[in-house]
Amino acid sequence: MNSPCALSRVEGASQQYDVAYYRSPASYEAETIAGLSVMDDIESVMRRVASLGSAGAIARKSGKEAAADEYFREALALAIEAVNQAAEGGSTSARLNILRTTALLALECGDVTETRRLIDEAATLDPSTIYADEWAQLRDIAAWTDSWLIAAVRREPPDEAALNLLVDRYWRALFGRCQVLTVDREKALDLAQESWRRMLRARNSLKPGGNFPAYLTTIATNAWRDVHRSARRAGPLAEERLASLDAPLPGEGDETIVLADVLPDLNALSANKQRLLAMDIDRALEQLTPLLRDVIVARFITGESCAEIGRRFNRTEQTVSGWVREAVRIMKGYLEEPDTPPDKKS
Amino acid sequence: MKTAIPIAQLLRWRLALAEAEAPPAPGATRLLELVRPWWEVLPERFEKLIQRLGAIEVAYGHAMAEPSPARPCHRVAVLIARASEESESSARVLYLAVRDRRLRLRFHLEKAPANLPPTVEVTFISEQSGQPLFCAPAAVSVDSEYRLEADLSAELARDWEQLKVMDRMPFRFIVRADTTS
Repeated sequence: MNSPCALSRVEGASQQYDVAYYRSPASYEAETIAGLSVMDDIESVMRRVASLGSAGAIARKSGKEAAADEYFREALALAIEAVNQAAEGGSTSARLNILRTTALLALECGDVTETRRLIDEAATLDPSTIYADEWAQLRDIAAWTDSWLIAAVRREPPDEAALNLLVDRYWRALFGRCQVLTVDREKALDLAQESWRRMLRARNSLKPGGNFPAYLTTIATNAWRDVHRSARRAGPLAEERLASLDAPLPGEGDETIVLADVLPDLNALSANKQRLLAMDIDRALEQLTPLLRDVIVARFITGESCAEIGRRFNRTEQTVSGWVREAVRIMKGYLEEPDTPPDKKS
Repeated sequence: MKTAIPIAQLLRWRLALAEAEAPPAPGATRLLELVRPWWEVLPERFEKLIQRLGAIEVAYGHAMAEPSPARPCHRVAVLIARASEESESSARVLYLAVRDRRLRLRFHLEKAPANLPPTVEVTFISEQSGQPLFCAPAAVSVDSEYRLEADLSAELARDWEQLKVMDRMPFRFIVRADTTS
């Protein structure tokens, strides 16, 4: 990468970025202690590191991952050079600042081994860093950001500790979504595992700056749609079904369900009643075609608008609104009169 | 007593309950095992197939040099691997595009066995090194025509960006009809 050009691309934007994140003013103290020429060199290198780090952070935030990757890698290489130079004559505080900056860049690059090495080097230099707050987030993997964990998982081979933590962080939410989609615990487990598998297979293209839980949910929903795609395209019957759903339904749908013997606060129900209600909801969801279940989850759980859902299905907002009303009507029919469930729409 | 509950509240409550009752998360080791490429899981099988695939190149040399009159193009050597047997074939690349590191490919499989499943797994083998590059599922559309999409590494994307269907392809295929083959 031609660095000056790369820097000029983010000129201005980098000025707004918190450069102190990469370079503490305390590093200047070193000048009075160590040889001026060495520290001048290091300071110049670290200034460049700060610029590259800022540019990398901006690129990552705006989804330009290839550029972010290059900025961070270049910054890390320079910072490691500075670490080595500072070892020959820098003050302890200056060296610690450089080590911390370098460890942060190593995390941005997903280089866990290098991060650990730098943390250990800092602890050797000054054992108090083991307890220092500014080192705590680097030392404790549980405190790492999604972005750092993803960068570590994206590498070849992926860092297992980072992957374990990422899975722990999002497993429950993903499983819950899979359960609502599949309405079956075993199938939900398979779907959730398949989602992680797909994510790992495409890990080269992961964007550490992106919304990881949303990405994971999208993978799960796509995997579930894949299973039902053939059913949706299954000949004239399916076409007819879609055609009938395209037709606007009369009247506005009431998006509430009237339940007997249920408190407004569902969590206040007894465990037994909660279990029965969960089963009823599952059965009501089962009455829906995969398409309608997909739409109702997108509308009421993800919170997508009918227009957003419509864009995904290449349908009008009005059509999706009709699907939502149809799904609500079927669920109401089942939940409000559990003894006489309506025929499954087919 | 009857209570009117918004459907969104009802679904979110169900979601929260499912989250609370989630089974334990799988470990990283197990997940990584699931995505280990088949050539690492079955190295002996891979070795056998790669040798046979290398031989096809010789067998189809004439065909590669002599493009089809319908649409001039180089053919890609293909080995179709099934649980019980292997068969040699070739593929004509009908469409190839690499954008944003994503490969979109359409190819016609010559002499495809009649009972090939609608989705097969295609492993790309480097023409130059003979090493596996990646594998991706390909779905049949019409008449032995398969479509495939895959994310590429930055290096491959850069190398393949300029490829045209008329070019000699830098890969060969191992087509697995089922994932145990």
